[in-house]
Amino acid sequence: MKSFVRRFPRMAIGSAIILAVIAMAATAPIFFPFSPWDMRGSPFEPPGSPDFLLGSDALGRDIAAGIAHGAWVSLMIGGISTMASLGIGVSLGALAGYVGGRVDDAVMRFAEFFQTIPSFLLAILLVAIFRPSIFSIIAAIALVSWPPVARVVRAEFLSLRKREFVQAAEVLGVSHMRVVWQTLLPNALPPVIVLGSLMVANAVLTESALSFLGLGDANWMSWGFLVGSGRSVIRIGWWISVLPGVAIFITVLGLNLLGEGLQTWLNPRLSKRDMP
Amino acid sequence: MAQSASVEAGYAMTKKLLGIDDLSIGLPVYADRPRAVSKVSFSLNEGEILCVVGESGSGKSMIANAIMGLLPRELPVLGGKIDLQGIDLLTQTPAQLRSLRGSRMGTVFQEPMAALNPLMRIGDQIAEVFYVHGLPGKPQQIIDLLRAVNLPDPEALIHVYPHMLSGGQRQRVVIAMAIALEPALLIADEPTTALDVTTQAQILNLIREIQRRRNSGVLFITHDFGVVREIADRVIVMKDGELVEHGTVSDVLKRPSHDYTKKLLAAVPKPNTGAPRPRSERTILKASHLRKTFWRGNKEVAALNDINLDLRKGETIGLVGESGSGKSTFARTIVNLIAPDSGEIRFEGTDLHSLSRKQWKPFRKRIQFLFQDPFESLDPRRSVGDIIAAGPMAHGASAAEARAVAKEKLRLVSLDPSALDRWPHEFSGGQRQRIGIARALAMNAELLIADEPVSALDVSVQAQILDLLEGLRDKLGLSMLFITHDMRVAAQICDRIAVMKLGQIVEEAPAREILSNPQHPYTKTLIASVPGLSGESANHRTVEAL
Repeated sequence: MKSFVRRFPRMAIGSAIILAVIAMAATAPIFFPFSPWDMRGSPFEPPGSPDFLLGSDALGRDIAAGIAHGAWVSLMIGGISTMASLGIGVSLGALAGYVGGRVDDAVMRFAEFFQTIPSFLLAILLVAIFRPSIFSIIAAIALVSWPPVARVVRAEFLSLRKREFVQAAEVLGVSHMRVVWQTLLPNALPPVIVLGSLMVANAVLTESALSFLGLGDANWMSWGFLVGSGRSVIRIGWWISVLPGVAIFITVLGLNLLGEGLQTWLNPRLSKRDMP
Repeated sequence: MAQSASVEAGYAMTKKLLGIDDLSIGLPVYADRPRAVSKVSFSLNEGEILCVVGESGSGKSMIANAIMGLLPRELPVLGGKIDLQGIDLLTQTPAQLRSLRGSRMGTVFQEPMAALNPLMRIGDQIAEVFYVHGLPGKPQQIIDLLRAVNLPDPEALIHVYPHMLSGGQRQRVVIAMAIALEPALLIADEPTTALDVTTQAQILNLIREIQRRRNSGVLFITHDFGVVREIADRVIVMKDGELVEHGTVSDVLKRPSHDYTKKLLAAVPKPNTGAPRPRSERTILKASHLRKTFWRGNKEVAALNDINLDLRKGETIGLVGESGSGKSTFARTIVNLIAPDSGEIRFEGTDLHSLSRKQWKPFRKRIQFLFQDPFESLDPRRSVGDIIAAGPMAHGASAAEARAVAKEKLRLVSLDPSALDRWPHEFSGGQRQRIGIARALAMNAELLIADEPVSALDVSVQAQILDLLEGLRDKLGLSMLFITHDMRVAAQICDRIAVMKLGQIVEEAPAREILSNPQHPYTKTLIASVPGLSGESANHRTVEAL
């Protein structure tokens, strides 16, 4: 354990942060056994006041409870939307990279269609059209973030296809599906895993931004909503916006560290330096 | 030749150029042995070529790097002394070493493309050698240097980028850079290993010529005893970081004293001198009028230009040629990894080219392929058992059956069945090539296409794999198309040899006929270029010297 921390410090710090955020989300109902939308006392109580550990907002809601409950929403949206966009991206990328030719062209032009539109604007548009809800937010984030995955998987497949061990499978008469599943995907996965952890970070940010603009799900407390609700009163109660913002910052930092750590860990050429 | 060289060298024998005394170089703790180089002492005189011979991992390149002061931090010099013309190199500061590199010692590396900056014109790269040593580097000097390494049209060449040159030309440029400041010591670290055999012969001649002209000392690192025979005055043999033998070239090659040297010399492939095997009447593979062209930019390259070949049952045909001759394209065309433009490949009468993927499948069992690079051809993320079992499972065997087959085939290639659950990276190059052979034979193939199967291996391992292939061929009645760039290897294992050049088979005949009486001028050049042969009569050379 100790040597792992020393060899991959980024990954250790990153995973520690993410585990802490997960723990916070999981224990929110225990420490704050009430809805984060409840008005619990007087408004604009500063952090450290007897009723409010991290202060209260303009309506007297508990910021600490909001952050703790909001953590769950952020992580869930980040995780599920990333899973979904990895699903879309890996399948389309694998298809393009393995089949090649016209299929490759079609898939890549389709991906470019998504990439040429600013992804955040498209997400706003999608959420606005389908009415803000937790599902439309997840779907919107998934739909705008798959093209980079497809590109990475396609590029990996293209270079792997020329490798001798893939040609060897071909010469043995292994079927297309088996070549893709057993030979190509496992070898293409490391960069995708790294990309995935960075995409979670991006999804957390996108969700926060959507909530900040008031396009969040009204049934779920989220960090972005908290930041947005404190925006107009920032000169009276800075903590209402700043503290949830710090939570977003730390979580995104943790995910990025984790991603970079995974990169060194999964890439044998980089991690050789870290050998004992 | 060795005699005339020693006479010539004798006149300068008195002046010692490089002295290495008790040199030890450490290794990181996780390495397989404590030291990369252990207590090595030798000296090099002016006007002398000293060959350091050894297999990969013997520490031979470490000595060169220690002299140049280019050892990485993980490989510290533990003790000893390196003395170049009275300068103790190990006590020099990095700045002092920088000024010595180039001026007192020049280096030629193995891979010329990697040694040259791809974004710099040839002339500028050579001029840089002068600039970093505070010299003007006039255009005329650079042109003279290019002329000195026998490059054509030096005036035009200085404006050219490295990728526009051939491998041999690039290596000449690297040599020009190494000798630009007339260093007394030239270190050549496997300078011809990445080159074709005919180019290798030219580069060896060039190094010899430059060394004589300037009376410099050359430390020549190689794994190839043919090259040693060609160029060396004296030889040291390295094994696992230790110097095991030291002597003049004729002593070491003719009367080796250490067992390891004897083993290495015995492992150099030799032409088969047994009675030729009778040729079967039955054709197993017949290629006719096969053509394939590639487009390189807007230039059309004929990789296969009307190839005809007739491989009989149980026969081994060696396909010999230099890089770019199209031999690998031909091999891949047979197993449908590359589709030919026109022509036929018939396997026992069936035209393989016209088959659909589904119709091909039964032939996948009967025709198998052996790849060159044992580190590249095994999936790093699957266990050895899974790798070998993939073939039988693709053809309907159950997991248990396939595993049993894998176990049996591992025994066939003399590996322990416990290898089944281990990973490819746990094995050495030779062992991995055995795994590759086991995979190819897992479905009882009748025809084996072997694409340079021993080229990436050390000479002693190469000998083992060749023996294994030969044994399996006789035991299983395999027919084999054996592709190699090394005439010596082909001469050992093949019944017939086909020589390929620029997409054409220029000559095809029984192996001993090709060796003793080559007809085509290219075949003659190729055989004359095999290192360690020149200056001896054709018959004498093929039987004894190879």
